[in-house]
Amino acid sequence: MKKPGKNLRSFSAGLLVLSCLFCISPQGITHAEQPYRIGFTVPLTGAFGKDGALVKDAYVFWQETVNAQGGIAVKKKRYPVELIYYDDKSEPQSSAKLVEKLITEDKVDLILGGFGSSQVIAASAVSEKFRYPMTCGAASTLKLFDRGFQYYFSLLGKAPEEVRGCIEILPTLTPRPTTAAILGANIPFSADAADGFKAYAPQFGIKVIHFELFPMALIDYNSLLHKVKGKKPDVLLVGSHSLVAIRVMKGLKEVDFTPQGVFFSYGPTVPDFLNSLAKDGEYVFAASEWTPNLPYRDNVFGTAKNFYHKYVKRFGRPPDFVEAASVAGALVQLQALQELEFTPPLKDADREKIMKYFYSKRFDNFYGPIRFGPDGANEIHPPVVVQVQGGKLVHVFPPDTAEGKPVYPMKPWKKR
Amino acid sequence: MILFWQSLINGLLLGGIYAACSAGFSLAFGVMGVVNLSHGDFVMLGAFITYWIFILAGIDPFLTLPFTLLILFFLGFFLQRLTINRLVGSPPIMSYLLTFGFHLVLSNLALRAWTADFRTVQTSYSGLTISFAGLVIPYSRLATFIMAMAVILGLYFLLYRTETGRLIRATAQDREMAQLMGVKIFKIYTLTFALAAAITGLAGSLISFTFVIHPQMGLPFTITAFCVVVLGGMGYVPGTLWGGIILGLVESLATTYLTAGISVAITFFLLLIILVTRPQGILGKGVVE
Repeated sequence: MKKPGKNLRSFSAGLLVLSCLFCISPQGITHAEQPYRIGFTVPLTGAFGKDGALVKDAYVFWQETVNAQGGIAVKKKRYPVELIYYDDKSEPQSSAKLVEKLITEDKVDLILGGFGSSQVIAASAVSEKFRYPMTCGAASTLKLFDRGFQYYFSLLGKAPEEVRGCIEILPTLTPRPTTAAILGANIPFSADAADGFKAYAPQFGIKVIHFELFPMALIDYNSLLHKVKGKKPDVLLVGSHSLVAIRVMKGLKEVDFTPQGVFFSYGPTVPDFLNSLAKDGEYVFAASEWTPNLPYRDNVFGTAKNFYHKYVKRFGRPPDFVEAASVAGALVQLQALQELEFTPPLKDADREKIMKYFYSKRFDNFYGPIRFGPDGANEIHPPVVVQVQGGKLVHVFPPDTAEGKPVYPMKPWKKR
Repeated sequence: MILFWQSLINGLLLGGIYAACSAGFSLAFGVMGVVNLSHGDFVMLGAFITYWIFILAGIDPFLTLPFTLLILFFLGFFLQRLTINRLVGSPPIMSYLLTFGFHLVLSNLALRAWTADFRTVQTSYSGLTISFAGLVIPYSRLATFIMAMAVILGLYFLLYRTETGRLIRATAQDREMAQLMGVKIFKIYTLTFALAAAITGLAGSLISFTFVIHPQMGLPFTITAFCVVVLGGMGYVPGTLWGGIILGLVESLATTYLTAGISVAITFFLLLIILVTRPQGILGKGVVE
């Protein structure tokens, strides 16, 4: 039998080196088997099924990106991320039960927030009880922040604050609008957003000539919009979710009502809005908290634009701002694990330290600046306004970061 | 004054939609005593059939109506033949449980197949309107209203002017007597449920122009159908027209002159009053047991 030749010895040595390289990353960090188990509940069915699916996509994207980079590096080891999630069916009570299941049965290390204020109010009550810090990028009703909770953290501003940009832009438009009608779906976020419109409007010289909340059970908006049309407001401001925003636009066309501008608190940034309305969605304004042209960056995704392009490549559609905010919340949790050097499985004391850590500093990532106030709201994130122009969302306010100018007034339906 | 007339027109057009979406519910209840809790899901399926034929084949939504009619007819036929027929004579709770099961299965299958995306049928005439004397009428709603009237009139003609209709009514009036007279009641039940599913699907196709289409859209139409049928008289098919129009008018006028928030509450208050004071419906021709 022949002795192993030089080639075989070289091959074996090479294999050994490759094996070592496979186990040890260039920074000398080894891979750990034990993952961080991170749980969340989102509506994948029911009234908010589409919006909740966006948040799920956001967390999956974050997990895939982090795992593709080898996992979360802590104490010279890299730990993969394992996501465990459930569909809360747009039902707050389901959301609460499922978060309890995640904590008590699935034994997750950390909890991320879902979608929709009603669901998150219920879910965060459970995470508070078990002292799990919850970061959330897709709920912002005022009710979330007046409970004295310590473990709830919002990447978004409070709902009324989110729509401030939509009012601030009004005096800059020509002809300058002076009157507004405000409508809102009577559910936590949308109603708060409508209240926000109402509170800020007089500060910017806008007279509110109609204010009305309507139930989600209302599926035909024509009579409501006819009533508003009769009052001839310059602009229509709507506290909304995506389904409400689509219904309002269909209704406006059916009653042949074209205010000079239509502003939504939420909806037009969800891809379904433009997919379903196509050209009928043109000229609509929407409140937002993030656009990819903003000059923000971090170590995981690079710039905001990089995040955007990678997201489009992964899902074939642009990310909504709640997706960006949800990923930003996950990044903040990741940063806490790394800086506090907590390895899985996490203990109760670790989670308490993470909670204190969240309050202790300012974070900056591709989503922008984040500082949690005593009530858990993001105190320093500036709201922006986007407008549908040529089938795309264009950042139009504030002017110093805007990528385009607002198109105003809206073209009447019959002239389109 | 224009607002009042506009509100009446809105209510009338909405009432036509409600009536069309409820006729099948009334038919199934009137003949078989089945409260079909999956009724709204047939509306949803009709809307999706029109949407997909329109998107994939580019066929005008109005031309998709025969496809919807046929597909839903066979779906109703098989559901009745394979399952509901076995419950004839059972306590009503059994049909509630079974049809609620259909609701869960159909809505979740639709969700699995088509995701929770919100969709609309956008044609070149979507949202276009006729205006006269300051009043606005959307073409699609007017067309839906006319089609709805045609469906209800057609159903009325079938039930009251044909031999098949006579058999259906005979079965509805007295099942055992009809059976003794040689009526094959299980065939009548199957035909009735298939017909109910078909016209409900047709209504779904018609509303696809107006409403947002998604897998969870069905349940509100089941609730609406229940209200319409109680108002018009349980089991009295022509009553759905009156029930639908009354409901549409009440909702529209309440939204215009009170608030949109209270219009839904008023609808249910009206339902309560009718159930207590006139359970046989406004026309007094409904079935009360």
